[in-house]
Amino acid sequence: MIDNDKIIETLEKKIMTFGRDSKTQNVGIVVKNTDGVIIASGLSRASMGEKVIFNNGNSGTIFNLDEDNVSIILLEEASGIKEGDIVRTTGEMLSIEVSEDLLGRVIDPLGNPLDSKPKIKKGKNMPLEKIAAGVVEREPVSFPLKTGIKAIDSMFPIGRGQRELIIGDRQTGKTAIAIDTIINQKFNKKPVICIYVAIGQKRSTIAQVIDRLNSEGAGNYSIVVSASASDPASLQYLAPYAGCSIAEYFLEKGKDVLIVFDDLTKHAWAYRQISLVLRRPAGREAYPGDVFYLHSRLLERSVKLNKENGGGSITALPIIETQANDISAYIPTNVISITDGQIYLQTDLFNSGIKPAINIGQSVSRVGSAAQTQTIKSVSGKLKLELAQYSSLAAFAQFGTELDNATQKQLDRGKRLTEILKQPQYSPLTENLEVLSIYAVTSGAMDDIPTDSFQEFEKEMHDFAKKRYPEVLESLSTGERPTEQILKQITKLVEEFKKRFR
Amino acid sequence: MNKKKMDKLIALSYKDKYFDKKIVNKIVSVLSRADLKKYINGLKLAEKKRSLIVSSPVIDSDLNKFRKLFPHKKIVFKKDPSLILGTQVIDNDIVYEFTLKNSIDKILNHIEQTYD
Repeated sequence: MIDNDKIIETLEKKIMTFGRDSKTQNVGIVVKNTDGVIIASGLSRASMGEKVIFNNGNSGTIFNLDEDNVSIILLEEASGIKEGDIVRTTGEMLSIEVSEDLLGRVIDPLGNPLDSKPKIKKGKNMPLEKIAAGVVEREPVSFPLKTGIKAIDSMFPIGRGQRELIIGDRQTGKTAIAIDTIINQKFNKKPVICIYVAIGQKRSTIAQVIDRLNSEGAGNYSIVVSASASDPASLQYLAPYAGCSIAEYFLEKGKDVLIVFDDLTKHAWAYRQISLVLRRPAGREAYPGDVFYLHSRLLERSVKLNKENGGGSITALPIIETQANDISAYIPTNVISITDGQIYLQTDLFNSGIKPAINIGQSVSRVGSAAQTQTIKSVSGKLKLELAQYSSLAAFAQFGTELDNATQKQLDRGKRLTEILKQPQYSPLTENLEVLSIYAVTSGAMDDIPTDSFQEFEKEMHDFAKKRYPEVLESLSTGERPTEQILKQITKLVEEFKKRFR
Repeated sequence: MNKKKMDKLIALSYKDKYFDKKIVNKIVSVLSRADLKKYINGLKLAEKKRSLIVSSPVIDSDLNKFRKLFPHKKIVFKKDPSLILGTQVIDNDIVYEFTLKNSIDKILNHIEQTYD
């Protein structure tokens, strides 16, 4: 509601100052308009990254400063701008208005709402480009960010403030892992704000993600920043930085934030498109020379701040789409080297029914194990090694040679471990249930259960445990190493359930 | 022709604040089509840099003060009633606004940004 008195007072103040304050504007003239990139003469006082306004109300940002002219990338459709149009500097760097009102909303990289909900109230102006926090403000990753996916939480744990890459071919479940992680945050006592940045995706795909987040109850703590495939390349380029700026607003308030960049391959494509139109020298695969810096300066903004600086964190889950499982291509290797680990998804595994299709041998989490709780650490210690050994043994076993007893046992255990790590989409598990499932297999308590009924057995066992053994689940939620007594109780629980299951 | 030479040609085309017709005609007659294009663009830019445009709703003798303030510039006076009151000075790509229209625009902008 507008207060009339306030408006009159402001107007009076403004009129009183008339004549005293002059306004200096730096203007330029449009020389060329090519595919959303404008070349303008003048603008001698413009600075890199500054926002500019055209006569027809369109806005852009300075991308190149040359001797006689500047290059501007448009932030809207390029239709209305013609040669000779006037363009003015604003003195402002590109920024986004952020407030708590953004929670549960879908916005474009400039902060404009894309859903049919009410107008977003103005908040704090956060710059899109910002230097990442320095080493003095940071502290090591020490608190876990649970994904609710057994395979990840047990073998490749992610900590708050970590950057974990999700990499794989198309249709291997990359987005599914990110969405499951967002959904799983609803089980947290301390809420984690989730930001999903969609870059260069189909609008129908983005709509599906939004729909799923809302139906799973994750909508109220999530923000979706959308720059679809039909949006200008400039918006696709800005989208992850806008997401990061929003995350930094909550970080300043000491909150934990999870940000998903889906995906950075398309982000690199958008940047390549802009760079080629700007006639910047093209390098490998026609990407410009600074494509590494493009992603490193973005992912460096992921941080775990120390207590003096609020103690908040930004955890990043960048996604990279590979072509024909080639993780040694230019962009994948760049992002692999920037991040603190990767989860590598493979088409072969996906097609053979292993979902999530994680390649155990080539996936790694470099800092997350420090953040893993003692509970899950105690049951998943040998898991990765056993599974890696299983995959190499399984390859030999295919030749049909006779195997000794020990090898056969190892193969059998590996098969069971692989089976227990399978998990349906959109059903993340709490840590206690993950521990229960993994321990039931590693302890050998499920050795007599046929592998094809593992999924059913596991699901019913979880329900049984919730009803009959809530104290066991409670003790597994403390984060401490389970005692011998608790482990015995788990074995008892499994044995008791087995009788019912049969 | 490289930029340095072109800049030299453009500088030679001027006599005080104005074009030297003889020299300009001579230069134009010897330049190739591509260089001619560059030369004309260069002249346009140079002309912009050397002139100062003073716009006001009423042209009066007070505006002559600008000639003393900017002795090395070619002063162009323009009558623009849309400015309502005051003066607007354009020096190459810098616009100095001392007009009522600008103040009203600023107030409008302020209202739009504060009470959306």
